[in-house]
Amino acid sequence: MNKKISIYILTLLLLVISYISNAKPLTLHSEPFTQAVFEQIKKQYQGKKWLTLLWSVDCPPCMKELALIQALQQQKKHLAVVVINVDTHENSEQQREEILQHFELSQQTHLFFRDGFEDQSRYLIDPQWYGELPRSYFIDEDGAFHGKSGLVSKLLLDKWLLASK
Amino acid sequence: MISAKKRNRLGYVVFFTLLIVMPSAFAGHEQHQPMAKSKKNGREINCQQVAIRCAKTVTSAFSPNGDLWRLWSQNKGLYYQISTDNGGHFSITKQVPLVDEKISSRNENRPKIAFDNEQGVYLSWAMPRKRKYTADIRFSYSNDYGKSFSSPITVNDDDLLTGHSFNEMIVNEQGDVSIVWLDGRLKQGKKSAQGSAIFMATANMKNSADTIAKQTFINKEVVNGTCVCCRLAVDYNRQGNLAILWRHIYGDNIREFAITTLNEQSTPYQVSYDHWQINGCPHQGGALSIDANNRYHLVWFNQGDKGKGIFYANSDNAGKTSTTPLAVGEQLAQAAHPHMNENNGIVDIVWTQFTGTQHQLWHQRSINAGKSFAAATIITTAASGADRPFVLQWQGKSYVSWQRFQQGHWFTQL
Repeated sequence: MNKKISIYILTLLLLVISYISNAKPLTLHSEPFTQAVFEQIKKQYQGKKWLTLLWSVDCPPCMKELALIQALQQQKKHLAVVVINVDTHENSEQQREEILQHFELSQQTHLFFRDGFEDQSRYLIDPQWYGELPRSYFIDEDGAFHGKSGLVSKLLLDKWLLASK
Repeated sequence: MISAKKRNRLGYVVFFTLLIVMPSAFAGHEQHQPMAKSKKNGREINCQQVAIRCAKTVTSAFSPNGDLWRLWSQNKGLYYQISTDNGGHFSITKQVPLVDEKISSRNENRPKIAFDNEQGVYLSWAMPRKRKYTADIRFSYSNDYGKSFSSPITVNDDDLLTGHSFNEMIVNEQGDVSIVWLDGRLKQGKKSAQGSAIFMATANMKNSADTIAKQTFINKEVVNGTCVCCRLAVDYNRQGNLAILWRHIYGDNIREFAITTLNEQSTPYQVSYDHWQINGCPHQGGALSIDANNRYHLVWFNQGDKGKGIFYANSDNAGKTSTTPLAVGEQLAQAAHPHMNENNGIVDIVWTQFTGTQHQLWHQRSINAGKSFAAATIITTAASGADRPFVLQWQGKSYVSWQRFQQGHWFTQL
């Protein structure tokens, strides 16, 4: 009987160990983009310089900008960056996760557009943004959004993100 | 020695730990399932089932007998319906047999359908491959008006795992099928290479009736250095030569529209001068329609320093010089995604605007071959997402096709 219990415990322990060892080292947390969530983030960064980067899985220059963020986080642990994915097509969730894991961006805040609310989300961020990607918003200490379409330079990102405390 | 009581306790601890840990493991896997259901207005719509309202893009075309076909992709399948009353009613959904593969169908990258005068139905699409940004251009053909279709073949002949997408297809009266697409083969191994290239393949299914061999489609380069994510536009001119309009990359990422007419020129003409400098993806191509007087009608969208919004222009010399671009739509109301068609002197432009909650389909018409336009009017609206609109023509009448995600496909005479 005692032997049976020991085997039972051992099996359970092995199961737990195997699960833990198989689990990905860092799980990425991303949540749907809503007005409330975005307002909360804006509040969180109030008085600080921060960056919002909008990207899509099928936009090659977006990957370059994600790589720039990846490089920057080697220099500074807590970057004030919010990464928003705009994809809602079939399988986009899986592709999004894979790309973010690839660039090791689990430290950043991640949001994604909800299916059927793509344009509403885009409009909430900026009524004068037409969906071109990558789209970066440099948000200053006063909360003003400065939008830029296309890949931004490393220099600009460094200046914006490394200087702020 | 551990007492039996303690052992039991340990067993419970481990058991409950597992209970806590394991569901989160399963939940993690669940996140990777493709999104099957969408909640809209508290109503669950199951998009595992094939339904046109679940399509992100819809491609419509009239066949020579006046049937209206609409085509969409879902869950690795290609589906169509036919209407015999100009979109009033549609037949049951039919699936294109032998197609069981991923199909690009978002934004400007979507399946295409065309017809010839002898029961021929032509399909082409882009099939994403394993690596990011890689795809092949695929083709299937029916010589019996859709009773059967050939096994899909790959049109690009480079055997490279690289980008081949944004296919456009046109069939002329002789049954020559021309497919043009954006192709990444020229930048393989070249880090400094900028943009994509346009490649083209032409075949005639009547010449190779039963066997559609891969070599049927011989690929040729049209131009290099194009934008990688905007649709192409094609039309035949009065001489029967194919003209192509696309977004080109000039200098340091200045993305302007360019046009070329095959067999008539070696260097393309630049047709827009809005100075949109962007190292990115505009996701906005143009439209081209050539009239019986060989006037080229053009629409495009830019967000440049010198020009922002939708523009219309026409050219009587194949794009060498054009009329002063006419601004179309309300730029501050998100006017975007224009499409246009010329039909017997009438030029119809359609585009979308967005109020923050409502998508609007707009229309503006010229009855004097683009010389002047009547005021813009709103045609209809959409609540939960909108596809690009397209103008079609049949027997002297013009129609607009507009897919409204989860709401349904809108098709009406203009």
